[in-house]
Amino acid sequence: MRERSLQENLMKAVFLISTLISILTVALICLFLFANGIPAMGKIGFYQFLLGREWSPSDLPPAFGILPMMLGSLYVTAGAILIGVPVGILTAVFLAKVCPKPLYRVLKPAVDLLAGIPSVVYGFFGLVTIVPMVRMLFGGNGSSILAASLLLGLMILPTVIGITESAIRAVPGELYDGAVALGASHERAVFRVLLPAAKSGILAAVVLGIGRAIGETMAVIMVAGNQARMPEGIFKGVRTLTANIVLEMGYAAELHREALIATGVVLFVFILLINLLFSALRKGGRP
Amino acid sequence: MKQTITLLLAALMLLMAVTGCTQGGAQDAGKNITVVSREDGSGTRGAFIELFGVEAKGEDGSKKDMTTKEALIVNKTDVMLTNIAGDPNAIGYVSMGSLNNTVKALSIDGAAATAANVQNGSYPIARPFIIATRDDVSELAQDFIRFILSKEGQAVVGGSYTAVDENAPAYEGVKPEGKISVAGSSSVTPIMEKLKEAYLTLNPKAAIEIQMSDSTAGMTAAMEGTCDIGMASRALKESELAQLTGTAIALDGIAVIVHPGNPVVDMTGEQVRSIFTGETTTWEGLQ
Repeated sequence: MRERSLQENLMKAVFLISTLISILTVALICLFLFANGIPAMGKIGFYQFLLGREWSPSDLPPAFGILPMMLGSLYVTAGAILIGVPVGILTAVFLAKVCPKPLYRVLKPAVDLLAGIPSVVYGFFGLVTIVPMVRMLFGGNGSSILAASLLLGLMILPTVIGITESAIRAVPGELYDGAVALGASHERAVFRVLLPAAKSGILAAVVLGIGRAIGETMAVIMVAGNQARMPEGIFKGVRTLTANIVLEMGYAAELHREALIATGVVLFVFILLINLLFSALRKGGRP
Repeated sequence: MKQTITLLLAALMLLMAVTGCTQGGAQDAGKNITVVSREDGSGTRGAFIELFGVEAKGEDGSKKDMTTKEALIVNKTDVMLTNIAGDPNAIGYVSMGSLNNTVKALSIDGAAATAANVQNGSYPIARPFIIATRDDVSELAQDFIRFILSKEGQAVVGGSYTAVDENAPAYEGVKPEGKISVAGSSSVTPIMEKLKEAYLTLNPKAAIEIQMSDSTAGMTAAMEGTCDIGMASRALKESELAQLTGTAIALDGIAVIVHPGNPVVDMTGEQVRSIFTGETTTWEGLQ
């Protein structure tokens, strides 16, 4: 009996340590980011850093303004949501309510596979197909907000589809049965009854999609053009916050390096807000 | 009705896929030039803007990178090559050691971009590869550096890059035992691997470990003492020079590259400068 309780306590400790490791990681990342980034913001000047329109770190004197990159991230993400969310939600509806069983067995793994493709592969795909397509159809050089949005729209599909599908499946079957019993067609029952009932789950899917899109780096770098200037239209290039960090970290030193870490702080705050929004939506959705 | 819509959609998607795959044809003289540049802080970019005068220097010691804000920014040599090879209107630059036949290197002021022309000085666009050490390096590291700068070492360098000293003395090393590690720039790593091989045939008792990262990481490692020799493809920063001594080991030419379908074969340095500063924006406007 005593041996039993010893074992119990031992395992409890193992679980506790596992939990602590992940919490510690988050805490250390916060500490590192803020300890390195906040002083840099102070040196550059808080407003010059957040609202400056010029980014030229190698000049003497240098300029570190990340407003172009913040807007870049927002525009590219907004574009990705516009493209990815409607496609994703409709796909989820199809998978959950329309798709015949044999087809589902092929489609579901295919959608899951989409999530497993490394982002560099997406990037090269975008560079050799989406960029030339945008160049041909709309002129310019192809590397643009539009190309990045299209690619990110594809990349957030698995996230949006997966969460939306489970949200739709979680709606009690009586709602659908009731709607059909009242004379609604299958489509009407799905779009007018099931989707509104799954609203909070779908919103959560959108928010997670935003998180994925705003944090994506490798693929965006290859198709967005990465010009560090204010966005000038969807057929022109743009640089995102993530791209700014990855592009220049390899060679940056001194204040330039700290400014990049401070860029990371801004990105971190963005993601934090998105996650808060996500948990708020999750809580709101619970009956 | 449903089937018709499905068919129409499928046809539309097929059409988009086909147009996406057909690449743009020959270069069009009236089209805008797509300027492709490396990221701020990159050694290649730093050397390029300095050598072509894209950098404006003020009398008060201020420096301004005048590269056009419309330039696409890439952070890897292979992405640069893919961009240029895929866009008939593009112009960019890479290290001469990385040239391949998917792009065309331009002659500058009549001199072709070859290692021989860098050596005899007629192709002026070259930058040094630098190794950096602290003052208290091991005997083996000193001997390895003596080898690199000797006749034998410079002969190895001359294979793909340009030797810094044609009349270097022959190697007369003491061939000490031991183990050293070399870390830093990915541009310098290939030549360092060859130097290591050649040195180990002369001194089999030594062990050399090469870690590829980037210039800044290499300098940091050398300053912290986690590696014996750091490699950089850019000039050392002041904070680095305070602790490290830099030595040039090779010259690397920078080739200006365009799409192979581009009829232009030769440019003056002034033309390159005006394209990269954004003064010339079309191939037609090139004088």
